[in-house]
Amino acid sequence: MSEYMQSLLGILLSAILTENFILVKFYGICPFMGVSKKTDTALGMGMAVTFVMGIASAATWAVNAFLLIPLKLEYMQTVAFILVIAAIVQVVEMFLKKSVPALYQALGIFLPLITTNCAVLGAALVNVQKGYDFLQSVVFGVCGGLGFTLAIVLFASVRERVDKAECPKSFRGFPIALVSAGLLALAFMGFSGLKIF
Amino acid sequence: MNIGKQFKEGLLTKNPVFVQLLGMCSSLAITTSMFNGLGMGISVTLILICSNVFISALRKVIPSNIRIAAYIVIIAGFVTMVDLLLQAFLPALSENLGVFIPLIVVNCIILGRAEAFASKNGVLASAFDGLFQGIGYTMAITIMSIIREFLGAGTFGGGVLNGGEGIRILPEGYPALQMVMPVGGFLALGFLIAGFQWLMKKMEEKQKEGVK
Amino acid sequence: MKKTSNVGYILRLSLTLLVICAVVAVLLAEVNAITAPRITASKQEKTAQAVAAVLPDGETAAALDTYPDESGIIQAVYASETGYAIQVAPSGFDSQINMMVGVSKDGRVLGVSIISHTETAGLGAVAAAKTEKGQAFRDQFVGKSGVLAVSKDGGDIDAITSATITSRAVTSGVNAALQCAERLG
Repeated sequence: MSEYMQSLLGILLSAILTENFILVKFYGICPFMGVSKKTDTALGMGMAVTFVMGIASAATWAVNAFLLIPLKLEYMQTVAFILVIAAIVQVVEMFLKKSVPALYQALGIFLPLITTNCAVLGAALVNVQKGYDFLQSVVFGVCGGLGFTLAIVLFASVRERVDKAECPKSFRGFPIALVSAGLLALAFMGFSGLKIF
Repeated sequence: MNIGKQFKEGLLTKNPVFVQLLGMCSSLAITTSMFNGLGMGISVTLILICSNVFISALRKVIPSNIRIAAYIVIIAGFVTMVDLLLQAFLPALSENLGVFIPLIVVNCIILGRAEAFASKNGVLASAFDGLFQGIGYTMAITIMSIIREFLGAGTFGGGVLNGGEGIRILPEGYPALQMVMPVGGFLALGFLIAGFQWLMKKMEEKQKEGVK
Repeated sequence: MKKTSNVGYILRLSLTLLVICAVVAVLLAEVNAITAPRITASKQEKTAQAVAAVLPDGETAAALDTYPDESGIIQAVYASETGYAIQVAPSGFDSQINMMVGVSKDGRVLGVSIISHTETAGLGAVAAAKTEKGQAFRDQFVGKSGVLAVSKDGGDIDAITSATITSRAVTSGVNAALQCAERLG
């Protein structure tokens, strides 16, 4: 196996498990807490994020490599990336509505929320910071999204039960959800140190 | 305009972190030492005031169809300015906060206040709203940083006091390292919000009794 | 009639957005022009401090244009009378650890200084901390030569408690620097 393939596998593993976007890196906590009351909506959100993150990683990589770096406008990164992401979300929404209505039905309501999901911008910025090439960026984006999906689906199924359980009044709702998320993060700590050499 | 009411809302009844539950990512991620918490809080407050003022001033010029896009560009502009200034003048803080500085762009507090307050109110009121919401945010994440730093590292004022090492309160070996790891963030915020809800309820009950 | 007004509306939308973007871009260009020299200067100063920390006559060290880089993690090499200060960036627990290693002409480690890192606070971050523990960890390398390893891997470097990966990373950085200095002679 070539070294490049190894690096891709390493990115895949770390984005999904050891550096899980939510439970380790804290990117995208808002949708994680907001859209995790039911398992199926959580899955929908996860798929939508994965989809947008994959496209956004590719697009922001291209914008950075072909536009910002040659023009020496690196300091415009944040502004350019967020605009690109907002545009992608718009285009994806319009495209799905027209061409794949079934998918739009499933993902549509989550799409507007994704623009302000820091996981998407986070992935774009980390790609630049770590100096990933095109393929590595896309793998990182898609796998980060898969890691997000894994965490949010697991969390939603925990939360469905927790909501029915009894707990002190002050803890009801959000606080107990955060505590359960903490325990989930504790479980994910077990993956730390996992590396393919 | 009611500055007193705005002040109380920002700090207590509508505290952005404890009550509105906004800006979770940064409040969980960077609250590992007091220096980080304070630095992040002040940066967000500055950006919040600037973006609120600008958006409020431009609220009649920006067509409503593209207002979100326009807000995001304005916010991203201010965030980048703060990012560059921190890199130039406070490199240590900029290094600690890392990618979470540019991520202030998507911090829901800023876009949330732009949409909920600045787009409907005058410039001065929006400036105060930014200030008080910012102070509320700073207070919340500083408290969280102090708690996490004390339990996780056993020190107080890390990054600021005692030449950056912080004042050691718990002897080495006792602190629960998990508190400065991701787990600790979730647990600390969960318990703080629970405590806050309990406190608010107590205050409400007291007020009711007073009325009777 | 309706169509033209529609076009006008869209034009107005795009123009407003364009103007806002342009203003933001100009403002940022100004701020960047002010801050960029300071950012570069503070980075250079940090590197210079690290060189001075690992070489006794670090102030006189000059950067080399070419150097052997078999490990692929060497960033820069500064040479002086007594030896080399080699900047390496091994992958740590979180991301790259940017560090400087001083190596004497006879191939011994003179000092290790960590420039920047993003390791876990309280664990991996100990490697870079100005505490007794951090100093003790970095001082272990001084005077050593050859190929080093942490005690878990059969070497004689004591890893930082619960931060084996960070310790391994720093050790691999020192190894890369030693190898590079050996090639340079």
